[in-house]
Amino acid sequence: MTQQTELGVEDRAPELVPLNAIFATDFVQILVPVTTANTMDEVAAAVAHHVEGKRVRALPYRKVVLHNGRALPGDLTVAEAGIAPMDHIAVEYDIPEGS
Amino acid sequence: MALLKREEWQGFVRDVDWTPTYVDDEAIYPEWHSGTGKVPREAWLNWEESYKVTYPEYVATQREKESSAYAVKAALQRSNNFEVLDEGWKSATKMHFGGVALVEYAAVLGELKMARFGLNGAWRNMATFGQLDEMRHAQITTFFGHEFIAKDPQYDWTQRTFHTNDWVPISARNLFDGMMTAPNVVDLAIELPFTFETGFTNLQFVALSADALESGDVNFANMISSIQTDEARHSQQGGPTMEILVEHDPVRAQWIIDKSFWGSARIFAALTGPAMDYYTPLEHRKQSYREFMEEWVIDQFIHTIEDYGLKKPWFWDEFMQGLDTWHHGLHMGLWFWRPTLWWRPKAGVSKDEREWLREKYPNWETVYGDKWDVMIDQVNADNVEATLPETLPWLCSTCHLPACNATQSRDGKWRVRTWQLDYDGRKYHFCTNTCRQIFWKDRDNVNHETLIDRFLAGQIQPMDVGGVLAYMGMTPEVMGDDPDYAAWTRDYVGRAAPGLATPAGKAS
Repeated sequence: MTQQTELGVEDRAPELVPLNAIFATDFVQILVPVTTANTMDEVAAAVAHHVEGKRVRALPYRKVVLHNGRALPGDLTVAEAGIAPMDHIAVEYDIPEGS
Repeated sequence: MALLKREEWQGFVRDVDWTPTYVDDEAIYPEWHSGTGKVPREAWLNWEESYKVTYPEYVATQREKESSAYAVKAALQRSNNFEVLDEGWKSATKMHFGGVALVEYAAVLGELKMARFGLNGAWRNMATFGQLDEMRHAQITTFFGHEFIAKDPQYDWTQRTFHTNDWVPISARNLFDGMMTAPNVVDLAIELPFTFETGFTNLQFVALSADALESGDVNFANMISSIQTDEARHSQQGGPTMEILVEHDPVRAQWIIDKSFWGSARIFAALTGPAMDYYTPLEHRKQSYREFMEEWVIDQFIHTIEDYGLKKPWFWDEFMQGLDTWHHGLHMGLWFWRPTLWWRPKAGVSKDEREWLREKYPNWETVYGDKWDVMIDQVNADNVEATLPETLPWLCSTCHLPACNATQSRDGKWRVRTWQLDYDGRKYHFCTNTCRQIFWKDRDNVNHETLIDRFLAGQIQPMDVGGVLAYMGMTPEVMGDDPDYAAWTRDYVGRAAPGLATPAGKAS
């Protein structure tokens, strides 16, 4: 009988990760589903889709994902960042100092 | 035969008690229902209501109240009173009818529980009148709302609301089940008659009746006043119960009153706050929600708890700060998720209305003005679609209301923050620190699943906005929408509007 080995998250099909998210100065936490394969740039865009230019005026700056108080690189995936279902994230504009 | 005078017989009948011989006291008054706890059983012998009523008096008074309420209603049915009412006021009444009618029925069950398991005959007697009161309130509220269904199908939610899984009744069910269905009668008397009725609804009904008259809704004012007189009587069950509990177990008394004050304040912020500060036409507003709370609820509450030797709740600062934010955030949430409502929420942010909001709430513009400005610009760009939801707001695991309370950090920034709890293998999110603390202290209690929990568990299919609305029992002819977009956006037509999402979803 073949022994089954558990695949690492990078080898598995993307899994759904529902998140509790707040976009910048928005007034409410919202539910945003992403997957383990999404990058932080994609996660930021998914959260922004519900708010940016709809309740919070769009600004011409990069958006970053904050998780457990840490700003995460845009190319990191949800799986790599260790973001789990029901986790809280915030998305903020990366506004250069002095602007 | 001459009738005895009231004072010659009332003392014998108002606190009739049996001395059981076949079973012991615990079998008749089990702890899980009667909840005496640390209070010695005999201490309840001292329970005494301050305003006593006999059954013949009760029937005569109630009959008179009923005749008068229905006579006014019949007379007004022939007038155009309803047609001339402001849409905002109508929304306040729809919210009231749907949000209250069947809660009154739940209160019948709460009163019946006290009528059966209360630890003193006089208390059980008073609760018997109380359940008759609540039955009348359920009936009169349902009947008065029913009259308007032919004119506006949203009034159908008078009876329908609590039979649905709409997020508003889920939140109210969670609160009132905790207040009336789950607790023993001692806790119930502190939560319902003492805190919710004496502290909140009695006063709200007085204010609501005045607002109704101001808005020209004589019928509604009449109904509310009729109900309020009953509340004033049966809410007396709280005081004597509190007196005895606080003497023997002040820690429990403090916890019960704290918890129920918080829950009541949260639901008031969601329902009364928007009605007072946004739906009521500007010219009819007598005071802001904050002023109403300070004058009618807070002063009295502090006075009452001090009278009983209790302290201000531990969350007092968070609650007081919330008077400037909770209901504004909730109003924005109700408006943005308006397809989930059985009323037509007015945005209420024209220039004049904003000036009033700024005067009453100096931080309003900083915290909420920017978001309303974007939505105003979207409406004026003919892109109302951008102001409609495509996902769910996160609902707090304690109060089940959207987690939308901004707080100011030391650097001056206003942000909505997360209040999280990892417990029993899962994550919970809350709208405030206190909702998180109450959940933790009360974690063994039965809590309803929030709409988010249900959605993520796959109970709602398909998993999209249409599926959510269907799950909530929402139908196209009832679904809420703003009654008059131009009323609050026309002041801003033609101004520069950068940073808007285009209809394709891309920022311009």
